Amino acid sequence: MSVAFSETGRAEVERLLTRYPERKAVILPALYLAQREFGYVSDEAIVYIAGLVGTSPAEIEGVATFYTMYNRKPVGKYHVQICRNISCSLLGAEHLIEHVSAKLGVRPGETTPDGKFTLTKVECLGSCGTAPVMQVNDDYHENLTVESIDRILDQLP
Amino acid sequence: METVLTTYFVNERYRRLDTYRQYGGYEALKKAFAMDPGQIIDEVKKANLRGRGGAGFPAGVKWGFLPKDLSRPRVLVVNADEGEPGTFKDRLIMTRGPHLLIEGIGISCFALRAHACWIYIRGEFVREARIVDDAIAEAYAAGLLGKNILGSGFDLDVTVHRGAGAYICGEETSLINSLEGKRGWPRLKPPFPASVGAFGLPTIVNNVETIADVPWIITHGGGTFAALGVEKNGGTRLIGVSGAVNRPGVYELSAGVNLKDIIYHHAGGIKDGKKLKAVIPGGSSTPVLRPDEIDVSYDIESMGKIGTMAGSGGVIVIPEGACMVRSLSVLMNFYAHESCGQCTPCREGTGWLKRIVGRIEEGKGREGDVELILDLCDNMMGRTICPLADAAVMPAQSFIWKFREEFDRHIGEQKCPYGNRF
Amino acid sequence: MPILTINGMNVDVPQGTTILNAAKEAGVEIPHYCYHPKLSIAGNCRMCLVEIEKFPKLQTACSTVVNDGMVVRTDTEKVRKAVTGVLELMLIHHPIDCPICDQSGECGLQNYYMKFGLHKSRYALEEKVHKKKVQDIGGQIVLDAERCILCSRCVRFLDEVTGTRELHFFNRGDHSEISIFPSRPLDNNYTGNLADICPVGALTSKDFRFKCRVWFLKAFDSICTGCSQGCNVDAHHKGDILYRLKPRWNDAVNQAWMCDFGRLTYKAMNEARLLTPFVREEGARKVAAWGSLLPDVAFRLKAAADKGGTDRVAVIASPQSSNEELYLLRRLATELLGTRNLVFTHRVAGDGFADDFLIQADKNPNSRGARLLGIPDGAAFDALASKIAAGGIDALLVFGNVLGVLSEEETAALLANVPFVAQVGTNEGPVSKAATAVLPSASVAERGGTFTSHVGRVQRFRFGFPARGKAKNPIEILVALGNRLGAGWTFAGEASVFRALAESEAPFAGMSYDSIGMFGQEAKCSK
Repeated sequence: MSVAFSETGRAEVERLLTRYPERKAVILPALYLAQREFGYVSDEAIVYIAGLVGTSPAEIEGVATFYTMYNRKPVGKYHVQICRNISCSLLGAEHLIEHVSAKLGVRPGETTPDGKFTLTKVECLGSCGTAPVMQVNDDYHENLTVESIDRILDQLP
Repeated sequence: METVLTTYFVNERYRRLDTYRQYGGYEALKKAFAMDPGQIIDEVKKANLRGRGGAGFPAGVKWGFLPKDLSRPRVLVVNADEGEPGTFKDRLIMTRGPHLLIEGIGISCFALRAHACWIYIRGEFVREARIVDDAIAEAYAAGLLGKNILGSGFDLDVTVHRGAGAYICGEETSLINSLEGKRGWPRLKPPFPASVGAFGLPTIVNNVETIADVPWIITHGGGTFAALGVEKNGGTRLIGVSGAVNRPGVYELSAGVNLKDIIYHHAGGIKDGKKLKAVIPGGSSTPVLRPDEIDVSYDIESMGKIGTMAGSGGVIVIPEGACMVRSLSVLMNFYAHESCGQCTPCREGTGWLKRIVGRIEEGKGREGDVELILDLCDNMMGRTICPLADAAVMPAQSFIWKFREEFDRHIGEQKCPYGNRF
Repeated sequence: MPILTINGMNVDVPQGTTILNAAKEAGVEIPHYCYHPKLSIAGNCRMCLVEIEKFPKLQTACSTVVNDGMVVRTDTEKVRKAVTGVLELMLIHHPIDCPICDQSGECGLQNYYMKFGLHKSRYALEEKVHKKKVQDIGGQIVLDAERCILCSRCVRFLDEVTGTRELHFFNRGDHSEISIFPSRPLDNNYTGNLADICPVGALTSKDFRFKCRVWFLKAFDSICTGCSQGCNVDAHHKGDILYRLKPRWNDAVNQAWMCDFGRLTYKAMNEARLLTPFVREEGARKVAAWGSLLPDVAFRLKAAADKGGTDRVAVIASPQSSNEELYLLRRLATELLGTRNLVFTHRVAGDGFADDFLIQADKNPNSRGARLLGIPDGAAFDALASKIAAGGIDALLVFGNVLGVLSEEETAALLANVPFVAQVGTNEGPVSKAATAVLPSASVAERGGTFTSHVGRVQRFRFGFPARGKAKNPIEILVALGNRLGAGWTFAGEASVFRALAESEAPFAGMSYDSIGMFGQEAKCSK
C-alpha cells in the first residue's frame, strides 16, 4: 500500500526544491508534510519520501528517528508536551506533569484510550522566562499553574 | 541605558514592515549598500561583536575566514536553534523584531558576498517560524529581498528551514548536516564551515542576535557599539533570567553588566523571599556559581577568569531548598536525551552519567559513585567531535565540586534529604 | 615530504598522510575501529586519540594530517588513560556473548581489551541497554545490534562502495542502533564484505555461523574461481575442510572486497568430490588404481589416433585449469597426440550476470589464459561438439566437471557417441557420470599455479593442503600421461612448468613467480 502527497503537497515539494541546491535538503520539510497529510510518519510515508529524493528508505528512517518531532507512531488529537528541564522544574513542572498524568489517566509517553491526548515530557522549549511551559500541538502555553493547565485542556474540543 | 535591539519591541506592530520602517528600518541596509564590503566587516570587527550563540567567537574574525577567491558561492546560515536550557532571547527577536534579523542578514550577506541565506529555526518554534516567514514575504514584496535589492544590483534569497527537535543542531556543523537533510551529526573540523560548509560551499554560521546587532552597528558605527560594552566584549546582550526570580524575562543590558545586579536589580531578586543557593550563569552547560561568586562582570573574559562562561546569556537562578542532586539529574537526563550518538565518549558517557546521578537522587547511590562520576567526566571532556560531552561534564563537575556534601548525604542516607522535590 | 616524530622516532611520509598511517610506517600501532583505508574517515570511535605537541586537546590520528615537524606521542599516561576510557565506555552495554559469538578470536574489542583494557567493569549489569539480536537482514549477513559499537563502517560501505544504503543509524544517543528498514533487507552482491569490515560480532556471516572457531583455522593465498575477475582471496581451512574465503587486498584487482557468489565457491571444494580413480564397465563403476589407469588412458588415446588418424582423437580443456596445466595439456594434444581437435568453452550455465564493479559474466577463472595459450573456444568448440555428435571421435580427454552449458542429459547423449572418454575432474557432475575413466583431480586449494584474469593479469594461487582421497595434482597426471606418450618431461611441480611456459609463450615472456609476486603481473597482450 503506497501513499503520495496531495496535489498541494506535491506543489509544495516542487517549490521547496527550488530553494535548495541539493534534493536531499527537502527531507526535513517533506517529513513535516507527511506528518500533516498522513497524520504521522508511517512506513509508507518513509518509502514515498525515499523515492522522492532518490535514496533508500533506511536513510529516511535514520533521519525521521533522529528528531523528536517526527511521530513514527500516531499520537492523540492533542499532543501535550510539558517541559521538564531545569527552569521549568525549579518552578514546579514535575508537579504539573503528575497532575496532568492523573487528570488524563495516562503515564508520560502514553495516549488516552479515546485518542484525544498524548502526554509527553519534553526538554527545554526555549521559553524559560515564562516557566512552566508546555506545547500542545503547535501552540505554546506559558506561565502554567494547575488551574491554567486544567482550563486549557478542558477547553480543547 | 542605550538599547540596540529591544528599543521598539514593546510595540507589537514592530514586526510588520510598515511599522519597522517608521522607526528607521532598512536605512542601515541602504547605508551598507553604499559601503565597501570590506568596510562593513571592519565595522563589525571594531564593534567587538562576540557571537551571541554561546561560544562567543568574534564575528568579524569569523567573517574573515571565508576564502578570498569568489569562484564558489558563499552562504550565510542563521542559527535560530535556541536550545540551550535557560536561553530564550532569540525567540524574542524573531517574534518582536523579525525585520531586524532580515535587515541584519541583508547587510551581512552583502559584506560576505553571499547570495543565499537559510535561517534554521528549531522545530518547536512553529509560531516564530511563521512570523519570520511572513516578514520575509513582506521583504520580498517590497524589493528588500530577491533580485537587485533596492536597485543595488545585489541579489539575495532567504529561506526558513525548520529543525525537528534536536538540541545538538545548535552546533554549527550539526546544523549544516540537518539543513542538508541528514541526521544532526556534527562534523570533524577541519575542514571548517568557512571552507566546506552547507552543500559543500563556504559558509558562515551566526546566531540570530549576532546578526540582528549588525544594522545598529552600521547606523552608529562599530566603535559606538563597542563602547556600550567592555573592552573585549562590545555592545549590549540580551540576557534571559529564569528560575526562582521575581521578574523572569529577557533584559537588554551592557555586556559588562554585573551578574549580581542582573539577578537582584533587573530580575527583582529571589522569589518568595528565599535566599539564593546557586546560579547557572550562561545556559545549562556552564559551570555553576555559588552565591559568593556572583559579584562579577558578566562579560566573556571576566566569566572565563572565574572558571565559568557567559555562554548563551541564560541565567538560571536556583533558590535555597532546591536539591542540587535533583537539579543535576534533570540536566543529565537532558544531555543523555540530546546526545546525537555519533561518538563513543558522549554517547555512552551521557547515558552513564544520567543513570548514576539518577540513582543517587533516588536514594540508591553507591559508595564511590561520586568518584566514578568525576572519573567519567575526565574520560569525556575534550575527547569528542563536538562540545556536547563537555556541556554535560561541566555541570556535573561543578555541581559536585561546589555542592559535594549534598551528594554525600544522598548516598550516605540512601535518600534525598529534600524529599525528592525541588 | 613532511617528517613526523612519533614516540621519538622520525618517519618521512608523503604529503597528506594521516598520523595513523604514518605511525604504521614507523611500526607504531595506533588502536582504531572506525577507520578503514577504503572508506571515508569517520573519526567517531575515538580510540585513536594521540598527544600532539602544541595541541591542548588529544586529537584523532585517523583524521589529522601530518605537518612537517609534528611531534606525536602515543605512549604517555594521558593517551593510555584516554584509550582505556574510550574502551570502557564501548564495553558498558556490550553483551558478554564471547562464548557464542563467531567473532571471538578475531574481535577488535577482545584484541584491544587485552592490550589496552584489562579493567574490571564498573557498570551495573541491570542497567545495560538492550537492542535487537540475531536478525537475518538479508544477503549473507546476521545482525546483532547489541554487539555493535556504532563505528559506521557498514553504513559507509553501503553508501560509498555499493551505493545501496540498506543499513543506517536509527534513533540517537545510547539508543542509537544500526538497522535495515523493515522489509528492505540487504540487496546487493557484496553483503559478505560487511562481516569482514565489522570489527566485532555485530555483522557476521550466515554461512560461517557456529561452524568453526577461528583459532583452529589456517590461511593460504588463493584466487577466487567464481569468475574471470580473479579476486585475490585468503582461504581458511582446518585440515582438508575449507570454511570460508575472505578477500585479500589487491588494489589492482579487488581492493579489499569480493562478491557474495565468489565467497561460497569454497563449498565445491568440500562437497561431491571425486576421490578415487574409477572406470565404467557395463554401466557400473569399478575402482581402479592410478598405477594401472594412467598407462591405460595413455594407451587408449594413442591407439585411437594410430588406428583412425589423429583427427579421431580430441581434447577438451577447461577454463578452470591453471596456465601451467593448460600449457602441458596443449603440448600433450598437439605434440604427443598430434591432434588439432583441442578446444575449450567459457560458457557456463547460469545467468552470465556482470556488474560494473567486480562481477564478470565469464564464470571461469582462466579463459584468458586458455586463449593466450592458443586454445580456441566459441565456434571451435561448437564444431567439435558437432563432430562428436556425428560419431567422429573415438577417444576424448576432457578436463573439468561440465561441458559448457550442456545439461546432464545432453552431456550423456553427446558423450555416448564416443567409445572412450577419460575425464580429469574435481567434482561429480554430468561428465563424471558419462565418462569411461575418471581421474580425480586436486581442487584449487590442493595445488598451486597461476590464472590469467580477464584483463590479462597473471596471479598465483598457492597450495593449501594435500589433496583429498586419492585425487592427484593435474600437473602430475599430465606429466605421467605425457611421459607414457614419449614426452620425456622432467617437470617436478608448477614452478618448473611455469618456467618452461614463460620461455616459449610470448604473452608470458620474461615472467617468473618472483615477478608475479603477491599482487600479480600483466601478460603482454592487448586487452
